[in-house]
Amino acid sequence: MDRKVVVPGDLLSEDAKRSGEGTYIKDGSVYSLLYGLANYRDKINVIPLAGKYVPAPGDNVIGVVKDITFSNWIVDMNSPYDGLLHISEFPKRIESDEMSKHLRIGSSIMTQVKDVDPTMKVELTLNDRKLGLIKTGRVIEISHTRVPRLIGKGGSMISMLKKEVNCNIFVGQNGRIWISGGADDTDLALKTIALIDKEAHTNGLTDRIVDFLKTEKGARS
Amino acid sequence: MITMDKTDISFFKDGLRLDGRRADELRPVKIEVGILERADGSCYIEMGGNKVIAAVYGPREVHPRHLQDVTRAIVRYRYNMASFSVEERKRPGPDRRSYELSKVSREALEPVILTSFFPRSVIDVFVEVLQADAGTRTAGINAAAVALADAGIPMKSMISSCAAGKVADTIVLDPMKEEDNFGQADLPIAMTPNGNITLMQMDGGLSPAEFHEAVEMAMRGARDIYELQRKALVDKYSQLAGEPEKVEVHACD
Amino acid sequence: MTNVISEIKKDFIYNLLIKGERVDGRTFDQYREISIERNVIQKAEGSALVKLGSSQVLVGVKMQPGEPFADSPNRGVIITNAELVPLASPNFEPGPPNEVGIELARVVDRGVRESKAVDLEALCIVPGKQVWIVFIDVHILDDCGNILDAASLGAIAALLCTKVPASRFGLGEDYILPIRDIPIATTAIEFSDVLMFDPSVDEEAIANTKLTVITTASGNICGMQKSGTGMLKPEQAYRIIDIACEKAREIREKFLEA
Repeated sequence: MDRKVVVPGDLLSEDAKRSGEGTYIKDGSVYSLLYGLANYRDKINVIPLAGKYVPAPGDNVIGVVKDITFSNWIVDMNSPYDGLLHISEFPKRIESDEMSKHLRIGSSIMTQVKDVDPTMKVELTLNDRKLGLIKTGRVIEISHTRVPRLIGKGGSMISMLKKEVNCNIFVGQNGRIWISGGADDTDLALKTIALIDKEAHTNGLTDRIVDFLKTEKGARS
Repeated sequence: MITMDKTDISFFKDGLRLDGRRADELRPVKIEVGILERADGSCYIEMGGNKVIAAVYGPREVHPRHLQDVTRAIVRYRYNMASFSVEERKRPGPDRRSYELSKVSREALEPVILTSFFPRSVIDVFVEVLQADAGTRTAGINAAAVALADAGIPMKSMISSCAAGKVADTIVLDPMKEEDNFGQADLPIAMTPNGNITLMQMDGGLSPAEFHEAVEMAMRGARDIYELQRKALVDKYSQLAGEPEKVEVHACD
Repeated sequence: MTNVISEIKKDFIYNLLIKGERVDGRTFDQYREISIERNVIQKAEGSALVKLGSSQVLVGVKMQPGEPFADSPNRGVIITNAELVPLASPNFEPGPPNEVGIELARVVDRGVRESKAVDLEALCIVPGKQVWIVFIDVHILDDCGNILDAASLGAIAALLCTKVPASRFGLGEDYILPIRDIPIATTAIEFSDVLMFDPSVDEEAIANTKLTVITTASGNICGMQKSGTGMLKPEQAYRIIDIACEKAREIREKFLEA
């Protein structure tokens, strides 16, 4: 038994060393903190079905500007926490009164989490070539709990997908995904991502995705 | 309106209660998980004639900002009864009773929620009683615990709630309407599956020995409800996964 | 809370719109799947749970004898209230109904009242002293768009299965409340000169103009409400009315004719 559905408080192991994500230790035993799937490896991790995205340094996210102050854009990340994009983290030197010219309320951006402090103050940055304002393409939203599956081990799933559908894809850890390419290619990418979202917790998904892409592309030509 | 006089009812007939139950029997329970789309987590529960929906939003930003706690999430619980939920139509809006119920219900759940994981945020629990039939607060807490799990809120354990009462000098489990209105005592509790009590209220008259018996009985009822909450959550996952899950009852001690 | 609808989403809806499509694949005048379950709250005199797509609205009808209004001493009283409870949407706050909730209740009430679905004279018990009060209480459970149409459907569905609780008050035997018409509300939004019926949550968020038309079984209009900060041309209103009558007839036939 290497995977099992658990609820908060379920006893997972009497060996405290096996405590992984989504678990806690009490009196030397490991218990689940979450409702989800417990993965029994060296460590026992519980993957939840639901939950909010909590930003961590280094995360790529897609945000939407919701407010502009004197020196910060306030960015919605579909999280309990907003991101702060300081004017100095904009790739060009701009003045405070030019801020809304470059990024206005409602603009979507591909950004990265620079730092998170203990009170959950989140600092974002645009200082990287692959980051910036989204002008073309589509942005969709899936549950952030599915993102690891979409990326795959070592990025295997997402690289395969990018190649097969011939699209630019930026995956935000917060569940927002940007896709840019030809109309048909984009549609295929979206369908595939929707499939991964729906079946993220099942076995043999990688093979099914490979088959799905083959069939769909075959049907097109 | 025809009123019932205490002396008119005999609560037991041939050892069975007015609705045919034995003294230590729960009313039928039905639990459905994730029945709302907008809410982050939700649960619909029927306990006897009680029909209650709980929904959880959060963790999310706190408004107004001054309520924020820099070290943890704050938890809010709002118990509300629909106007049509009771026999005589109720004016909408909170009253003193609902404020009290909201407070003790929140205090029943908060001890197991890992609020330190989410500074400067709020976890909102909303409970709507759609039909009331004695025991709405326990039904609300049971639904709320499932909704919190459904929302992915980290908790040390589930919370289950059940009441015991005294009628005709007998301790009974999960009092129904007439037993609640005309009985001699009512004792709702909430607890973790391993018996740590997080809610306890009592009104009426009980000797210390009767109190013992009532608490033990209510705790056994809560434990049975825990099994039902757990089953509903596990079944729901299997439904989503499309694979039949072997349900091993792997509850915490 | 979450009222920031990104430009990307707006653009996406717009791009589909100019191709004649909607995000969920419906045509512009198509309603989402409807289900109506009656008598879900046995304690109420009448009740209905309406599902319109993922939107869910529960309506309960309670009746009790009371005093008539001074200006209509021989007529029963209808009181309609709507609770936009916070569990139904991240945008609903606890507290007494705000202008949106009050507007919803009043439009639902308009449909019931102006269609004369309930014979108020027949609700008189003792002229000038005692009449039946009918409470229509709308309880929103899940706002996924167009809760107004769902609420209006719920109200008439609940009324259609309402039993007057005469015996409880020593006023004779219980009887089914006679209902004389079936008003149906149909709502459309206007966005970029396109009219879309039964708007979803995102469609509602981008639209500036909304028009609700309430029609009776005979095809007459008994109520109307334009809401939102946009403008409507008369031709658009006439088109909405035409489609509204058609849609209302379909819904009435499918779900509510006994």
